[in-house]
Amino acid sequence: MSENNIILSVKDLEVKFKVRDRVLTAIRNISLDFEQGKTVAIVGESGSGKSVFTKTFTGMLDINGEVTNGSIMFEGQDLAKIKKDKEWEKIRGAKIATVFQDPMTSLNPVRTIGYQISEVIIKHQKKSKSEAKKLAIELMEKVGIHDAANRYDEYPFQYSGGMRQRIVIAIALACHPKILICDEPTTALDVTIQAQIINLIKDLSKEYGFTTIYITHDLGVVANVADMVAVMYAGQIIEYGTVEEVFYDPRHPYTWGLLASLPQLGVKGSELYSIHGTPPSLFEKIYGDAFALRSEYAMQIDFEEEPPLFYVSDTHFAKTWLLDERAPKVEPPKIIQNLHERLLATTDKGGRYHG
Amino acid sequence: MKKYIFSRIIKAIIALFVVLSIVIVMLFTLIPRENIFKNDTSISRMKGDEKTSYMYNKWDELGYLDFITYNEMCYASSDDVNACISGDEEASTKVLQQYENDGYTIAQFNDGSYYGYYEYNPLEILGNFYSHFIQIDHPNKIEDPDNPDLERKYYIGSDQNGVPAVMCSGCEYKYQIYFDGSFPFIHQNIISLDFGTSYPTKLGIDTMNVIAGGQGNAKMEEQTFPTGSTQNSPLIQHSCRYKTTSTLDRMDTTKFTDNYANCDTQYDSPSMISTSLTFGLISLFIAYLIAIPAGIYMARKKGKLADKIGIVYINFLSAVPSLAFIFFVKQIGQGFGLPDKFPHFGFGDIRSYILPIIILALLSTSSLMMWTRRYMIDQSNSDYVKFARAKGLSEGEIFNRHILKNAIIPIVNQIPVSIVMTISGSVITETVFAIPGMGKMLPDSINMLNNNMVITLTFIFTGLSVFAVLVGDLLMTVIDPRIKLTEKGE
Repeated sequence: MSENNIILSVKDLEVKFKVRDRVLTAIRNISLDFEQGKTVAIVGESGSGKSVFTKTFTGMLDINGEVTNGSIMFEGQDLAKIKKDKEWEKIRGAKIATVFQDPMTSLNPVRTIGYQISEVIIKHQKKSKSEAKKLAIELMEKVGIHDAANRYDEYPFQYSGGMRQRIVIAIALACHPKILICDEPTTALDVTIQAQIINLIKDLSKEYGFTTIYITHDLGVVANVADMVAVMYAGQIIEYGTVEEVFYDPRHPYTWGLLASLPQLGVKGSELYSIHGTPPSLFEKIYGDAFALRSEYAMQIDFEEEPPLFYVSDTHFAKTWLLDERAPKVEPPKIIQNLHERLLATTDKGGRYHG
Repeated sequence: MKKYIFSRIIKAIIALFVVLSIVIVMLFTLIPRENIFKNDTSISRMKGDEKTSYMYNKWDELGYLDFITYNEMCYASSDDVNACISGDEEASTKVLQQYENDGYTIAQFNDGSYYGYYEYNPLEILGNFYSHFIQIDHPNKIEDPDNPDLERKYYIGSDQNGVPAVMCSGCEYKYQIYFDGSFPFIHQNIISLDFGTSYPTKLGIDTMNVIAGGQGNAKMEEQTFPTGSTQNSPLIQHSCRYKTTSTLDRMDTTKFTDNYANCDTQYDSPSMISTSLTFGLISLFIAYLIAIPAGIYMARKKGKLADKIGIVYINFLSAVPSLAFIFFVKQIGQGFGLPDKFPHFGFGDIRSYILPIIILALLSTSSLMMWTRRYMIDQSNSDYVKFARAKGLSEGEIFNRHILKNAIIPIVNQIPVSIVMTISGSVITETVFAIPGMGKMLPDSINMLNNNMVITLTFIFTGLSVFAVLVGDLLMTVIDPRIKLTEKGE
């Protein structure tokens, strides 16, 4: 990892939420660097803190949430220190843009598509109305809206779900942001449209050179688009590496479980694999490895001391005591061996499943 | 869209007549018909046959039954009228028998003379009502045996001010289509609705005139009459109707060259309906002016001090009985020298209006504020707001450009209905301040069993409400692009 290419650097980030007089620690000491132009996928089960983590980059935490420790360095500025909305407005949309899950509700139903695109151009690039319209129509064409000039004055309800997500992407990219956060961008779309949207984001990221951060459950998508994968569990990144490393050579038992749970790997007639148990409560302090209780490979130390981030390769780290030299040698489950090839085989270029 | 609006209008009209018919049937069948005389002052002085005859004539007039005296029976049905009238037993039995067979009940006055009455069933009551409900004026309308040379024609003439008008000879009204300075500037007398006359209060005046006619003292105005004489007179020449030759007097002939001398009088005070409308519209306007920005502000400052103060205000207004609130504000107002009764200064003085308008406006702010705040907060939790924030828009921009336009949709939808509601007036406020408006009309007419008035008010309120809902829906299509009014399959 060359230091110069790092666009966003998160150090020791901790996020706490106040929920009815109790304090929930949603993010527990995450440090992660994002490289320019790379696509990073953040995977993990619901409640692992994926969305909260990326929301700190744009100051979009819910009102009861707060960054209590750590720094988020972006262009020489510590985003964790920003308190005023005024300052955030210069970051949001302009430098770090977000695409949300549901395109059906992400657009204002009673404003025209054109208005919603040019609004952000006028705001951040200080263009006139007519210039903004021209740019907006260009953008609409770029994201694959045919007859964009005529569709500029249409309303969201006149667009299909996939088209709306294209518009959402157009709005996100309107000001050439440095980072695009895609919070489950395809979850609400049907599979054929999913592939188109994913390819669109992929192509645009090559063209504009922005860093893409994917938040997703869909490991099929990850295998196809991501350069780097971060696996999150209970508010921590427990494994980080290139997509090949994480899929080929996963080290953390949770990653094994996650990969083994892929329905694509299920054998007809036999039960699908699932990780038993539930994640620990984030209201209480967690001792040791948060996954220990659910892990078949847990050792005594897993309940006593939190594992450090062990070095696997220059790009691959995992937070499990299994990597300690004193630990017994364990093999990952059979089902996930050669996973990357098998996953790629079940999906085509765009992340579309064959069956 | 056009087709849809057309079908909505048709449905609205049908709904209007269904409601009207139900009310008519209820009035005529569920309330004992003897009760209508409870508030009639003239009947208390009558007794015996005079009273019986008066009652049956009134019921006949109001459409309860068909009343017929013995002599009328003879004229209408007997082969030998003279024999019948003179009391020839054979002729008399025959006639009475005939009416009895037709469903009439035959009874005797104390003096021994016969009379008959036929009670209408509900369908006949409705039929009779609707058969004269819509009156269309035409040149052959007037039948005046004393004036055989009456011309039957339409012509273009001009009124006393020299403004052209479509006029008619032989019609009920002289001016068929005319222009004047009051809204909507072009008026017609061709089609009119006949609701009958008011009884027992405002005896003999058309119900529509009671509601929409002026009040107070006759207002004199210098005007030139067709004879060329200029007089100070309260008559409204545009409203002149035909007066039979036998009833024309000298006063009429000094003013008019023809028989159209039966004119309405203009008064110095506005009608009940426009009084209520004036109070209602001004207070409604003020209420919206206060409540919508206040509701929006509360939503923006949700949970903060301003929001809490607003909630206290809303709760206070909802919790205090409106009568108590009215008296309270009235007492405060008197401290500022404002009148406690409307007639104290009357229509011409602005001080008469201040307190009732403040009260009416404040009373309607609470729910309006509550709903505005509610709609705004609902909208501010939606995904497009989150996305707008991610776009880098400021909170102000998000509220003004995105949330407001969504939140205002249900509020705009309600505006026409609220306007119509003001016409029905505010019963309590108008009573407390003795404002001569519409507020008490409906309860009073029901209490007085003024059937024709109840029917008229039902028609007006129902009609306006139904159309207000339609206008509200049309307004919604203007601000919400998703809503299109179309028939299925259109």
